[in-house]
Amino acid sequence: MTTTAISALPAGLARSIKRGEMITKCTRSNLRRNTSSECIFAAPGRSWHGSPCWPRSSSRRAAKQRLTRSFSNAAPASLRSPNEDDLTHFRSILAPHQIVTTLGNSSNSRNDLDPYNRDWTNRYQGHSSLVLRPQSTQQVSSILAYCHERRIPLVPRGGNTGLCGGSTPLSNEVVLSLEYMNVIHSLDASSGILSAQAGCILHDLHEYASQRGYLFPLEIGSKGTCQIGGNVSTNAGGQYYYRWGGLHGNVVGMEVVLPDGRVLRLNMAEGRSDVHGGMDSAASVGGCHRKDNTGYDLKHLFIGAEGTLGVITEVAVACPPLPTSKHAVMIVCESYSTVLEVLVAAKEELGEILSAMELMDWQTLTLVRGSLGDSSVSGEALLLDEMLDTKNDSTTASSPPLSQSTATTPQSPLYILVETQGSNSEHDASKMDSFLTRLYDSLTIRNGFLATDSKRIHTLWNIREACNPAVSRSGYVYKYDVSVPIEEYMDVAAEVKETLSSQGSSFFPETAVCVWGHLADGNAHINVVTPGIFTKDESLASHVDESVYGSVLRRRGSISAEHGIGQSKSEILGKIKDRSVLDVMVQLKQLFDPHGIMNPGKVLTSDMVSNMKS
Amino acid sequence: MSRNQPIGVPSHQSIAYHLSSQQYNKTMKILVPIKRVIDYAIKIRVDPTKGPHAVQQANVKMSMNPFCEIAVEEAIRLKEAKKSKDDEVVAVSIGPKQCSETIRTALAMGADRGIHIETKGDVRGDYIDLQPWGIANLLKGVVEKEDKVDLVLLGKQSIDSDCGQTGPLLAGLLNAPQATFAAKVTREDDGSFVVDRETDAGTETIKLKPSNAPAVITCDLRLNTPRYPTMPNIMKAKKKPVQVISLEDMVKELGLNLDDVLKPRNQVVEVYEPPPRKEGEMVESVDVLIGKLKGKGLVG
Repeated sequence: MTTTAISALPAGLARSIKRGEMITKCTRSNLRRNTSSECIFAAPGRSWHGSPCWPRSSSRRAAKQRLTRSFSNAAPASLRSPNEDDLTHFRSILAPHQIVTTLGNSSNSRNDLDPYNRDWTNRYQGHSSLVLRPQSTQQVSSILAYCHERRIPLVPRGGNTGLCGGSTPLSNEVVLSLEYMNVIHSLDASSGILSAQAGCILHDLHEYASQRGYLFPLEIGSKGTCQIGGNVSTNAGGQYYYRWGGLHGNVVGMEVVLPDGRVLRLNMAEGRSDVHGGMDSAASVGGCHRKDNTGYDLKHLFIGAEGTLGVITEVAVACPPLPTSKHAVMIVCESYSTVLEVLVAAKEELGEILSAMELMDWQTLTLVRGSLGDSSVSGEALLLDEMLDTKNDSTTASSPPLSQSTATTPQSPLYILVETQGSNSEHDASKMDSFLTRLYDSLTIRNGFLATDSKRIHTLWNIREACNPAVSRSGYVYKYDVSVPIEEYMDVAAEVKETLSSQGSSFFPETAVCVWGHLADGNAHINVVTPGIFTKDESLASHVDESVYGSVLRRRGSISAEHGIGQSKSEILGKIKDRSVLDVMVQLKQLFDPHGIMNPGKVLTSDMVSNMKS
Repeated sequence: MSRNQPIGVPSHQSIAYHLSSQQYNKTMKILVPIKRVIDYAIKIRVDPTKGPHAVQQANVKMSMNPFCEIAVEEAIRLKEAKKSKDDEVVAVSIGPKQCSETIRTALAMGADRGIHIETKGDVRGDYIDLQPWGIANLLKGVVEKEDKVDLVLLGKQSIDSDCGQTGPLLAGLLNAPQATFAAKVTREDDGSFVVDRETDAGTETIKLKPSNAPAVITCDLRLNTPRYPTMPNIMKAKKKPVQVISLEDMVKELGLNLDDVLKPRNQVVEVYEPPPRKEGEMVESVDVLIGKLKGKGLVG
């Protein structure tokens, strides 16, 4: 069954199918029936390019019973895919360049939609035939109201840099891309509050703020692509979480469009809303305050909701003054116990200027080094050669970089990037000096590389930020993003390695376990990669899933520290959250989005939502 | 273009060679002048009301000039290649008290000791107060005071004023052989330096023979990638001596005239930001694009 065939199906067929029927069909794996193919709930799982499918209930019979019940209980009318009539409507409210579609006699091809249907790690594949790119809150509002009324599901999309498939359609939803809503309104010189539209690229906000003497308090590797609306929707964490806190603290105002088209301006300046026409970027930030304690603070519900409750169209973010002094050092530790001592020393000696502590393991950096090529042309490669000690230390250099025996060697060094940011370079340099002296005098660290100028500091960060892309390029990655007690930071990965080695060569023998992450936050990114093999192995996936989640839950950790839930972890969310907590989540979802059109199947599976309705 | 012939050096340098070849000493001393400038990655803020002082230096991250860093690296490599522990790399900086950090960085990279000619906080080195002429005169004094300097390695220019004059002026004042825009430097056993120079026509290889004056070489970007100060070297650097002397005292000691050193030879008339780039325009199709380009006379 090809996707072209699907979009050519008569729309009426799908529309007539009730929600309950459709889910039942899906759970029966009766996925190739044309009648259900255009309907969103018939997402045919792996039969379509191996994309994950929902609902994937652990017990199909139970699911069927529940779903039958929900059907008989007059569930809301079913969701349906967009058709040519809808396209005609959208053409009446949007300019031609704001629509990308393969519906009707459009000039777009499947290729034009590809970027909207696939995530950057190539792990998720959607089948949307319609992308809408609104330019104003008003347009978002009318699109949502229309879809709400006609039960057309939508996937809000920012820069598509997420790691959980949250912005990739599951099937043929409408993609609502915020890319054209990229106006930065203002930065208030006194309060440091920056307000901007949701589609602004994070890097542009950094530039804008720094030109005005402020720092945008969110920093992540994908900042050149990701958009602030997506960052807020997914509650992105990043490298400076320890220093500046998360978005729940820094986002002070928000404009959000609810599925029924209502626009909420939450602690936002009045008069700028483009709901009533043009954008007035010169408007003051009056009306947006650092503190606003008037009733339920609704904006927090949308931070991390991953577009399941509404669409964030504007944000106001409190920015700290731009630090003028930066220092960074890469410390090479023999063991994790040394890492812990370095962490204590950094907190004590660097105090308030400590801005980031990033951990990377040897396995990860070996892959990063491999992705860089010739060392004579890049500072990163040159430094990595020294860090990895490829020249002098024959014990590490001679081992094959990806063999599991090396990965589990307890002697594999660990690398910490420590960065300070302050306002007085003499003061900071002196603190850095006491920190390094303490490490040198009392700890068994292997080496350290100090960076005081931006070029070297960038080089250190480039190495850190190359971890994700380098590992992703090397093979299929089973990604985990966990919070665990800091003392047990490396233990989850160690357990995974043990599980894999106890399985022997029943899996790919070259499977590598890479760990990096935000040490001071207790947030570890565990990445199991099969080098050279770019397809998912289901059996390996379930083993690693079990091993990672088991280990994390035993430590009372979190299965998603900062990446969110998306489509990759919605199943597991249902298994680990308290029933009562899940119930309230579902009730919230139903309150904001009674027809379930917003990013269906993300965060909460459709099972969870429809079960509550019964 | 002849090889082995210093470019831009008066012919009497070859006479100096005969004089010095007997006096040639085994130990090598390299002087590396380093400058503290606004960090290369910082967006320069310009206050147009301040006239020539428009570039804002307060609360801005400062670092070692990248070309100076390359010079420090090259000096350390030359020393490492020779493997004689009596050799010495001396880092010299002229500027406010924060230059001690810059010198500390050079020492942590591997320089042996530092000299800091400290200026008052309001003396600007970015072509406003202290200009290359003054700097070159001070450096000449340091070379003479230090005695037996074999080589002065400088950055080809500093990224704040981009003059590129200090090296050549110093060579002139010292009557020394010089090579600018070095992409490769090797030292031969007789004490001469063979330098690959970057030129518009390609690479030019020249040899600087030993003379009574040190060789003066300015470093280009391709010469090397400066190293990171490593933990043991950072700790060693803390014990390395840095001589601090005020500009006033130094001028007196060298028999120079303070006003003469500080008097700008060139006057900065105006400092302004480049005009902002005009915002791009999205066009609907290739035909519209071609139409617009034709309208502007950019395509036929």
